[in-house]
Amino acid sequence: MLLLQVIVGGLLLGAIYALFSSGLTLIWGMMNFINFAHGEFVMLGMYVALLVVVWLGGGPAVFGFAAAFALFVLGVAVYLSLIRHVLRGPMIAQILSTFGLALLLRYTAFWIFSANFVSLPQTSLSGTVNISGILMPVPQLVAGLVAIMLTVGLHLLLTKTTVGSKLLAVSEDRNAAMLMGIRPDRMQALAWGLSAGAAGIAGALMATAYPWSPSVGETFGLTAFVVVALGGFGSVPGALYAGLIVGLIQAISAFWLGPIYKDIVVYALFVALLWLRPQGLMGKA
Amino acid sequence: MKSLTAAGPAALLLAAGLLSYPVVFSDPYYLDIGVTFLLAAISASAWNVVGGYAGQVSVGHSMFFGIGAYAPLLFYTLFKWPPMVGIPVGIAVSVALAVVIGVPTFRLTGHYFSMATIAVAELIRIFFGTWNLVGAAIGLQGPATARGWWDLTFRSELPYYYIFLAVLALLLYFTFAVERRRFGYYLRAIKAGERASRSLGVPVQQTKIKALIFSAAFTSVAGSLYSIKTGFIDPESGFGILVSVQMVIIAALGGAGTLFGPLVGALILIPLQTATNTWFGGGGSGLTYILYGGIIVVIARFEPGGVFELWDRIVPRRWRRKYAA
Amino acid sequence: MLLEAQAVTKAFDSFRAVSDADIAVEEGEIVGLIGPNGAGKSTFFNCLAGDMVPTAGRIAFAGEDVTRASPEAHARIGVGRTFQVPATFEDMSVLDNVMVGAYLRHPHRNDAREHARRIIELTGLKGQMDQWARSLGTPGRKRLEIARVLATSPRLMLLDESLAGLTPTELQEAIALVRTIHEMGVTIVIVEHIMEVIMTLTKRVLVFNQGHVIASGKPEDVVKDEAVIEAYLGRGQHIRRERRQ
Repeated sequence: MLLLQVIVGGLLLGAIYALFSSGLTLIWGMMNFINFAHGEFVMLGMYVALLVVVWLGGGPAVFGFAAAFALFVLGVAVYLSLIRHVLRGPMIAQILSTFGLALLLRYTAFWIFSANFVSLPQTSLSGTVNISGILMPVPQLVAGLVAIMLTVGLHLLLTKTTVGSKLLAVSEDRNAAMLMGIRPDRMQALAWGLSAGAAGIAGALMATAYPWSPSVGETFGLTAFVVVALGGFGSVPGALYAGLIVGLIQAISAFWLGPIYKDIVVYALFVALLWLRPQGLMGKA
Repeated sequence: MKSLTAAGPAALLLAAGLLSYPVVFSDPYYLDIGVTFLLAAISASAWNVVGGYAGQVSVGHSMFFGIGAYAPLLFYTLFKWPPMVGIPVGIAVSVALAVVIGVPTFRLTGHYFSMATIAVAELIRIFFGTWNLVGAAIGLQGPATARGWWDLTFRSELPYYYIFLAVLALLLYFTFAVERRRFGYYLRAIKAGERASRSLGVPVQQTKIKALIFSAAFTSVAGSLYSIKTGFIDPESGFGILVSVQMVIIAALGGAGTLFGPLVGALILIPLQTATNTWFGGGGSGLTYILYGGIIVVIARFEPGGVFELWDRIVPRRWRRKYAA
Repeated sequence: MLLEAQAVTKAFDSFRAVSDADIAVEEGEIVGLIGPNGAGKSTFFNCLAGDMVPTAGRIAFAGEDVTRASPEAHARIGVGRTFQVPATFEDMSVLDNVMVGAYLRHPHRNDAREHARRIIELTGLKGQMDQWARSLGTPGRKRLEIARVLATSPRLMLLDESLAGLTPTELQEAIALVRTIHEMGVTIVIVEHIMEVIMTLTKRVLVFNQGHVIASGKPEDVVKDEAVIEAYLGRGQHIRRERRQ
């Protein structure tokens, strides 16, 4: 029974991993680019949620939307001011650009918020539910379910809407897309906005259920790498399955081996993937 | 990137300056800065071989540094052997790790390699923090007092200064030798275009791995020198991300892919770091890293070639010919 | 037979870029490969050069099976290629670019440099020897690519539209260069759109369309072939003829 609870808890957290990782995989699929600051986007989403609650006293819908919006804007801004230029440059510029950004965001957050762990004051979502013997804290349950819905929503946006097909067109063949009147630059900026927005709202969702500090960005960033590598670069459905799997593995490792091992196992999984199946679960060899 | 060989006279001047520094600035405070500078220059120059010349950007090089740092103190702690026995062992383990990481990731795109380096460095850091054999979160210590010269435990920093200087000179010499030979050309070709390199017969995979091995070995030595000098190591100071960051920013700032770029970068950054740590006081380390992050972003956005490239662009051609080799 | 490819097919998922293509090149020939855009020429070329592994078929060079050989292995056994979009080493000098090629057969720096210098003279790049590759225009880059691959002392050179985008004068110079290389004993397979190049340089031509080889023979015969004309004109294309001098 306890194991079942651990499993469900892991899957719910994994759903949030899936949400923010789908943003990372979107960027990879479109531009062959890894955002080393993606974890920091999640972390910032958490703090936006906190600030909205503290200053405006809003509920989950309010701070969720605020986090998504704020990070969307940040994502677009980062693309326009930085990414767009380094895409055409040497590899070192590409890697260092977001790596440096990650440091900048992380340590600025440390400076502003200090290294203490914080959590959101109680919201309307509180308490625990009992589903056939499994005790689930409401925030975690809601966060996980909303995360799954949003990830699926992102996938639908990409595959079923006009905007989505434009985004995919640019990632398939930039030149052909241009010839069809699509502006790659705009689409790429939009993708960055969506990616960061997904991270932001994932952060807000996580903030409702788990405490955090500026240090979590680093861990989330790496987790996102693992999820994206496992699920296949560029695949949002892959990110969903992989996110759930990673959340599950993490929870079970913590349960059986001890809490310190939860990250070790995930990173070790990444290293194993490199050797055995770098294209991920859903990628092509 | 500019001509490979450094201006002869400038290099001699630099050598003279480095050799005589401790004589001129004999105060322990300045000596310490000098030693820190040399260590940073060694690490960054080692990173430069794979990250600068070959263009394979490792952001987790601390893994090699940490292994090199733990090995000497581990041998001392376990068997009471002189720490320097650990130096070759550190190199061997680092080289093995380099192969383990390089072989699968170098076949894929550059981003994959970078991601892998971060993940592995973190993995090792966390793992060492739980492993009692290596002191877990507390870490390891070296000899408190020297039992003989072989412990390399000196009261003054002066012997360290010259040992580190010798290692730096050796590393730069090897890098210079590599630059002039086929291996060096192949490294630069890989950075400039992998597909074209392959079509010309460059053994891309092999060359990258050799570069990583060379880099890992010297980074490991830098780590060993660090822990021998400090007499202490823990997961954060060995494998922390800031160790990796410092190597990268110093090399990139001065000019990744140039022989003296890392040296120049260290000349700029180490005094800067010392100054900001003093000004910003206790909370300084946070602000220092905000600054680092900002510098890295600026370099990436405006001048990925660092100071050397900047020099190339602003200094008029006439002047440059005067100073070129 | 220096180069022999049989029933080469290259498919990307369900799309067959190349279907059942054959080619046989004797040592010392210059063979042309023409066809409309998207006909599969470049994909076929990439298979011949080792850049792509065919889905089916067999490719042999000097009797050795090279179907799955890497681009590096191809270079070593004597197959060199240029790229449709020049892939010169921008951040290296012209001399250094050619030296990278020269190092394949000349492991020592001085030998490599001497060989590179000779190639640079031969290809008319002497004046730009110390310039950065990125400072060359497109014609210069194309010439540099040729020089660079020539420095690997290939037996067979695969030229991928290396003469495109040149002015009439440059074109004549380039044609002369290819002829010189051929006279040095290098076998050449050339992909081109410019009919003048095909007519003057090649003795034999293969025509690609939609992944298949639809005609082969002497250039003057092939351009009169019904299927070839339909392939070009039927798709709204026309055979380009360079202005006669």
